[in-house]
Amino acid sequence: MDYTPLDDEALIRLIVHAQADALGALYGRYGRLVFSVALNAVGDPDTAEEIVQDVFVRVWERARQYRADQGKVSTWLTSIARHRAIDQLRRQGARAGQHSVGWADLLPQAEPISNGPEQAAELAGQRERVRAAVARLPAEQKQVLALAYFQGQSHSEIALALDLPLGTVKTRIRLAMDKLRVMLTD
Amino acid sequence: MHVLSLLPAYALGILDEEESVEVSQHVASCPACRAEFQCYLAVVDQLALAAPDAAPPARLKQRLVQRVELLRPAPAQLPPPARLPWRAPLPCGVPLLRWRRPEGVRAVQGWRHLSALFRRAAPVWGLASLALIVALATSTIWLWQRANPRVHSVAGMQVVALVPTDAARGASGTLVISGDGDYGALVVDGLPPLDAAYQYQVWLIRDGQHTSGGVFSVNPHGYAAIEVMAPEPLASYPAFGITIEPAGGSPGPTGDKVLGGHL
Repeated sequence: MDYTPLDDEALIRLIVHAQADALGALYGRYGRLVFSVALNAVGDPDTAEEIVQDVFVRVWERARQYRADQGKVSTWLTSIARHRAIDQLRRQGARAGQHSVGWADLLPQAEPISNGPEQAAELAGQRERVRAAVARLPAEQKQVLALAYFQGQSHSEIALALDLPLGTVKTRIRLAMDKLRVMLTD
Repeated sequence: MHVLSLLPAYALGILDEEESVEVSQHVASCPACRAEFQCYLAVVDQLALAAPDAAPPARLKQRLVQRVELLRPAPAQLPPPARLPWRAPLPCGVPLLRWRRPEGVRAVQGWRHLSALFRRAAPVWGLASLALIVALATSTIWLWQRANPRVHSVAGMQVVALVPTDAARGASGTLVISGDGDYGALVVDGLPPLDAAYQYQVWLIRDGQHTSGGVFSVNPHGYAAIEVMAPEPLASYPAFGITIEPAGGSPGPTGDKVLGGHL
């Protein structure tokens, strides 16, 4: 069956009815994105691979619990991935910045993401828009925001890891989020 | 006092517990801060899109398919379900709440949404049996001398006693989490029945974020028993709360908190 015409919520409904091919189609749309989030959080490809599997297995098991009014399917997937990765890091006792995280190399005019054959043009456009917004943040704001987002590090953990005053970390995160909010508001 | 400066970090889930509780309570009662929080949450939701791109290995999809296939055996191969006391089918024919197949293979769910049953506030054998099991579990715990009176472990299950707030003095609640941490049953008693325009809503709290665990109404005696549903294992949420919300529930807590507890 060609799942291309179906929207994400339709795929979820099929997954509720144990249509494994629909899960495969969902993976085709978002597997790369979920892997990107996981890898940037944990830094290890094998662990990131396990996290991606866990995310889609959880979708398989919990598809019935998805509610469209609580957010998009893609947000649900990346949220599960982020929390799973953060849990993994905490179990490992990972310290902030133990591996290179996030957006240090992101430039304002980064090259477009090389789309796999299954990645929708719409998603590629969304990713490029958000990447461009993050790329415009000052380097010091990108650094603390990446540790907060990808690794769930607290203000104090980031301050300790980067040898910065706590207030500086709080301010940088707040400024980064305020700038992104302005840039990403439709 | 508004908490605007803390909302971005709250949306990221990186506040420490004390600050998180403070912000959570304020946001629940302040429409302005709640609206701001939703805006920052929308930003956080989009950050994943900016993750530096990385291609997964080709084998990942195949491994995922193989793993999912193990979770979905062909119907003809399924043996009869294992009969566990608290999951046994009921004499009136109400569908099994859930059953687990041998060899750890998960069963296809064959139960009805308990929240729909509760909204009719009709006595159901299935709910009574669930409540009986929970009551037996909690009464066993009360006989045990434990250092922590709020959380106990019984036969591998975790039982969390929910504490009433000033908004619902005299109410009580118990959350029972399955041994694998995935499933939960909530029993409440003594909660005041609400106007038809309102219902109680369960919240699963982690890193300052509130995830809905279900919506329910109580019977005329203030009693209800529901299955708590969560997108991730219940045991991964360190805190739980119940608030009063518009009928059907809210995306986030907006009303008075009536019960709360921690793992």
